[in-house]
Amino acid sequence: MIPLKVNGSSREVDVAADTPLLYVLRNDLELVGPQFGCGLAQCGACSVLLDGKEVRSCVTPVSQVGDKEVTTLEGLPARWARQKGLSAIEASGMLHPVQQAWIDEQTPQCGFCQSGMMIKATELLESNPSPSASEITAAFTTSGPSPHLCRCGTYVAIREAVQRAATLMTKGA
Amino acid sequence: MSSDREGSGNVFGATLSRRTFVVTGGALVVGAAIVGPRLMRKGAAKGAAGGASGKNSLDPSLASSWIEIHADNTILIRTGKNDFGQGTTFTAYPQIVADELRVPFEAITSVVQGDTHQTPDGSGAFDFLGGGTPNIRKAAAYTYQALLVLASTKLGVSKEALTVTDGVVSGGGKSVTYGELVKDQQLALTIPVSGDLHGIMGLRVEGDPPMRPASEYTVIGKSFANPVIREKVSAKKTWVTDVRLPGMLHARVVHPATLGSTLVAAGELDKGKFPNAQVIVRGNLLGVVAPTEWEAIQAANQVAQATKWSEWSGLPAHDALHQHLREKADWKTTAVAKGGSNTGDVASATSSASKRLSASYEMPYMKHAPIGPTMAVADVKDDGTVHLYVHNQNPQQLRGEIAMMLGTSPDHVIVHAYPGAGHYGRSNGGNSGAEDEAVILSKAVGKPVRVQWMRADDMQWSTQSPAAFSDVEIALDASGRMSAYRIDHHMPAMQDDRPVGAVLAGMPTMPAPSAKGEFIGSTVNNLSDPWLYAGVPNVSEQGHGTMQLGQEASPIAVGLRDHSMRTPGQYQQNYPRELAITEAAALAGKDPLQFRIDHASEPRVKGVLEAVRDASGWETRPSTERTSARGGSAPLRGRGVSLMFRSGTYWACVCEVAVVPDTGTVTVERCTVAVDPGIVINPQQLKRQVEGGAVMGISHALYEELPFDEKGVTATSWANYRIATMADVPPIKVVLINNPEVGSYGGGSEAANALAASAIASAVHDATGKVVRRLPLKPEYVKGALQV
Repeated sequence: MIPLKVNGSSREVDVAADTPLLYVLRNDLELVGPQFGCGLAQCGACSVLLDGKEVRSCVTPVSQVGDKEVTTLEGLPARWARQKGLSAIEASGMLHPVQQAWIDEQTPQCGFCQSGMMIKATELLESNPSPSASEITAAFTTSGPSPHLCRCGTYVAIREAVQRAATLMTKGA
Repeated sequence: MSSDREGSGNVFGATLSRRTFVVTGGALVVGAAIVGPRLMRKGAAKGAAGGASGKNSLDPSLASSWIEIHADNTILIRTGKNDFGQGTTFTAYPQIVADELRVPFEAITSVVQGDTHQTPDGSGAFDFLGGGTPNIRKAAAYTYQALLVLASTKLGVSKEALTVTDGVVSGGGKSVTYGELVKDQQLALTIPVSGDLHGIMGLRVEGDPPMRPASEYTVIGKSFANPVIREKVSAKKTWVTDVRLPGMLHARVVHPATLGSTLVAAGELDKGKFPNAQVIVRGNLLGVVAPTEWEAIQAANQVAQATKWSEWSGLPAHDALHQHLREKADWKTTAVAKGGSNTGDVASATSSASKRLSASYEMPYMKHAPIGPTMAVADVKDDGTVHLYVHNQNPQQLRGEIAMMLGTSPDHVIVHAYPGAGHYGRSNGGNSGAEDEAVILSKAVGKPVRVQWMRADDMQWSTQSPAAFSDVEIALDASGRMSAYRIDHHMPAMQDDRPVGAVLAGMPTMPAPSAKGEFIGSTVNNLSDPWLYAGVPNVSEQGHGTMQLGQEASPIAVGLRDHSMRTPGQYQQNYPRELAITEAAALAGKDPLQFRIDHASEPRVKGVLEAVRDASGWETRPSTERTSARGGSAPLRGRGVSLMFRSGTYWACVCEVAVVPDTGTVTVERCTVAVDPGIVINPQQLKRQVEGGAVMGISHALYEELPFDEKGVTATSWANYRIATMADVPPIKVVLINNPEVGSYGGGSEAANALAASAIASAVHDATGKVVRRLPLKPEYVKGALQV
């Protein structure tokens, strides 16, 4: 059994040690926010946070996760609640400001890449609360193993949603 | 339930009946009855009569409702159209229904879409707005009339004396809600329908019910949010990728080594390493199943290494593609398509021309390239019933294809539709690649099977948007006006709807596209780019078609299979036209945008061009000859314009670019798109659709070209099929032109992707004085053209 810390909970999975984290999350832990896009760390659809840093779960063997905390799309609201010191009751039913901004801006088209996009946005905004347009672009293109790809072409809407999320998070501070 | 009815009445050709059996709550359901000749594609699955009957189909004349009005005043709508992310079925459709029924948007509390057993019509995820009268609008219009009939009876007031506001009917000093009208009753409204449920166009609602005048709309025109976005963003939506059935096995398919290879010997599975995996062989289809996904992946890799395929190299080399298309492809067997606007005598006008442009334009193969590779879950039951869990643009056509493959009737196939990664046309003919394979493997193992293509499968074994070339001749008279225009478009067949797993397994499919094929199963290259320059007196547009590359030479009848992709065919036809018009303007010494206006007569064409001119800050001037383009590291800047009419909507685009002569690098610095769809249904959703399309267009224009060799597609990942990233996206300005006097609404999610290429190529021409007539505008092609 391999122990994992995921979205604030301790979990154990009975899988081969070289199984990519993506398949463990989706098939064993039923955390289906991250999507399979390429299996090659080339698109970002499978992104999760590992101790706050965006990684591609499709190429991350589960055995390498260790005691780092995994955050998926499902865990973003609780992550925000914890950062804001909210109680479980206050936190229930709320969304992370990044998610709220994605709704406000009507960002997704098909939405398949957007879990990874929101994970990337969260990583960015946790370290840079008011990124410039070029800092946003850098985060989504040059900061990781590959650019985050969106075939529907929602990059303009993503930029606007990151800026809105930055405002929401600052207001919520 | 009793079938006895009373109180039947004719409502503009629809039939309203009140059944004696009363169910709790009551409802008015709108079903369909088949009228007129059905348009059946030869080779398409025969079976359920237009989907009108049979188990696992809703009875369209009764229970398969388009619209349900409930006693609590909530309304449910159903459509076979399956959303692919543009949100039309969740925003525009409820808005259209709300306005026809005179209820608030919020009254429509439920949208059921896509599932074959609980939606009334089919057709593909394209043209959602149906030329201004999508099925759901007509169904709503009939429903409204039926509600007036019911209210008239209930209130004892003539229909003409009734008014409706927010779902409350008033007249003679009394009023009643829709919910009260249907309470404790079972009412059925039967409306006329024609078509083929399992064909690409699906069923169509017929007749001519009175529809609400656009001037009275109160819901259309407002920016309602797409409710599905909240579900997706908050991880509440079940995606097709999430479907897990009890006992389900994971599968990977080992596809042939080339697009013409047959299986010589399936590799032996290493049971020591993969004790739970199993190899399934059906003809040339080789699948590997296992209880866990990781074992299936690894076992498939191991088997693939050990499998032997026959050699094949029947495609032209990539570098020889356009030479092959021009010199070796057979354009004679397929009938030549003629443009609907052909007029005058092009030859004599050209011979007396003051100036002439003669040019050829080349477009590459491109991929639909969904972010998620195609996948499906199939569950073939012991009794022969098939359940398919898919993300598919045409579930009803898929149903017919699976039935044909298995030699059964569509009644036995149920397709469950889920959200997934966008397909951009790939599955509008019913399949995207994995659906049939999942069925074949599930049937083989007697358990539910989930087939997930890997990225390389998706690049190499899916269909492509076909390459094309066009030859253009434009004559200018002494005043610099176009006196003649001739274009000859050449493109291989664009719509191969055969499920590839069935082809590999040697199971029945519809025929491959051929000169004898019917409708879009034909190799005929129809003219799909409406002519917009009515001021040109002599016009000749012709379309030439041919077989798909390598299909006839392939022992497995595969080769480079093509499929319609966003703005299909029109993309390949509009690019050469619009770049040629820009070149003609330069030859005439005229500003290319004003040149277009000067040759147009339709006010909406002029309007959309003027809108994009004003919004982009276009400076009216001719493009001038540049001599500095041969070299230099300083960027040269220019701007270009393009124009298109598609699905009821006029489009114009201006792109501004920077070109570095030394490298051939093209950067789009600004993009402005003007859109006149007539009535704008939902400004925010349309704006997002246009932005996304424009980005895809920039991607097509600058980067996308499918690499292949004599054996097959050589792209295996995003590393060798590049698409635009955020860094490639300029500021995009979208100008929505609301034209309510048009009285109808056009589409918004196609066309935008087809505007950028010609605008960018025109801008490169403006910047450099050189014309790059081959797409994509990648550095080596641009640099090469600048050296000429």
